[in-house]
Amino acid sequence: MSDKHDHDHDHHQPPAPMVEEVSDFEVLEMAVRELAIEKGLFSADDHRRWTEYVHTLGPLPAARLVAKAWLDPKYKQLAIEDGVKASLEVGIDWINSMPTHFGTPSDYCNLRVLADSPTLKHVVVCTLCSCYPRPILGQSPEWYRTPNYRRRLVRWPRQVLAEFGMQLPPEVEIRVADSNQKTRYIVMPTRPAGTDGWTEAQLAEIVTRDCLIGVAMPKPGVTANAKRPVHPAIHPVHHHGH
Amino acid sequence: MSKSQHDRTHHAKMATGIGDPQCFKGKAGPAKFKVGDHVRIKDLPDMFYTRCQVYTRGAVGWVTQAVYESPAAEDEAWDNTEHPVWFYSVAFKQTDLWPEYPPAFANDTLETEFTEIWLEQA
Repeated sequence: MSDKHDHDHDHHQPPAPMVEEVSDFEVLEMAVRELAIEKGLFSADDHRRWTEYVHTLGPLPAARLVAKAWLDPKYKQLAIEDGVKASLEVGIDWINSMPTHFGTPSDYCNLRVLADSPTLKHVVVCTLCSCYPRPILGQSPEWYRTPNYRRRLVRWPRQVLAEFGMQLPPEVEIRVADSNQKTRYIVMPTRPAGTDGWTEAQLAEIVTRDCLIGVAMPKPGVTANAKRPVHPAIHPVHHHGH
Repeated sequence: MSKSQHDRTHHAKMATGIGDPQCFKGKAGPAKFKVGDHVRIKDLPDMFYTRCQVYTRGAVGWVTQAVYESPAAEDEAWDNTEHPVWFYSVAFKQTDLWPEYPPAFANDTLETEFTEIWLEQA
């Protein structure tokens, strides 16, 4: 052991909490789940298999759907008219897929593909809860579920999109889709310049999850979601009372 | 709903292999509104459960699609699937929803769905 002691760090700093705060709804979910298991509506093993299944889902099929539509106008038309049918061609069967065979309980089988144009930009939110087209997009990102995003996007869409790095001129109509009933939405952005001659696989790479929610635009070279902006609280809560 | 022996899985059985809302197709009768109709969102009292967002109440929009038939959320919350109704997608001008929405962005719109009971001809 070295004699030299590092005095730079603060020995009195309490350790950071191991888990983040659990919301009321998470507590409610646990209570209902445990009650349902106790009553024998489903088993703990059913729940584990279900959870593992939903975590295998991701946004790749939706990215492929958009890339295919960019290359094939007939497929684009099908996607706009019948999203559930168009999903079959990218390997997603909304109706007969595991584990329920009738759509997942909170993801009803009505997918609408919202096609952007140079004068129309769609963005998706669920103000009621956090409805999300999970069969084709996977689990929603944390920020999508926050009351902050849900409350503000419907009322101040331009400000929220600016925080995601998207600023659009007033000539472009921003259309917010609030999915509070049985329709689930994905956004089909316009194909960006600089992608001439690209294959479906190349195009799918730039259609990120954020592009499919509508808070980002596809760009050649950008294949990952941008880092979320973090705003410090104006009146922060002090847990350790200094 | 008010059966002495309620089958909790009846909804799942109905939808298996068909999908929800597809399993209610053709069960709501003729649609009252058509694409392009101007409609006002009624400001009805909320009885126990609703999905009709308060920010749309009283606003006038236009029907973009008669989307599907399904029991209303107000019924489905109690597992009552016996009275499917038409659902409509309605678009609004943002400046008609929010008093402070900047007139510079008058092109902006919002689209969401309603059941027939929440709509009246405007």
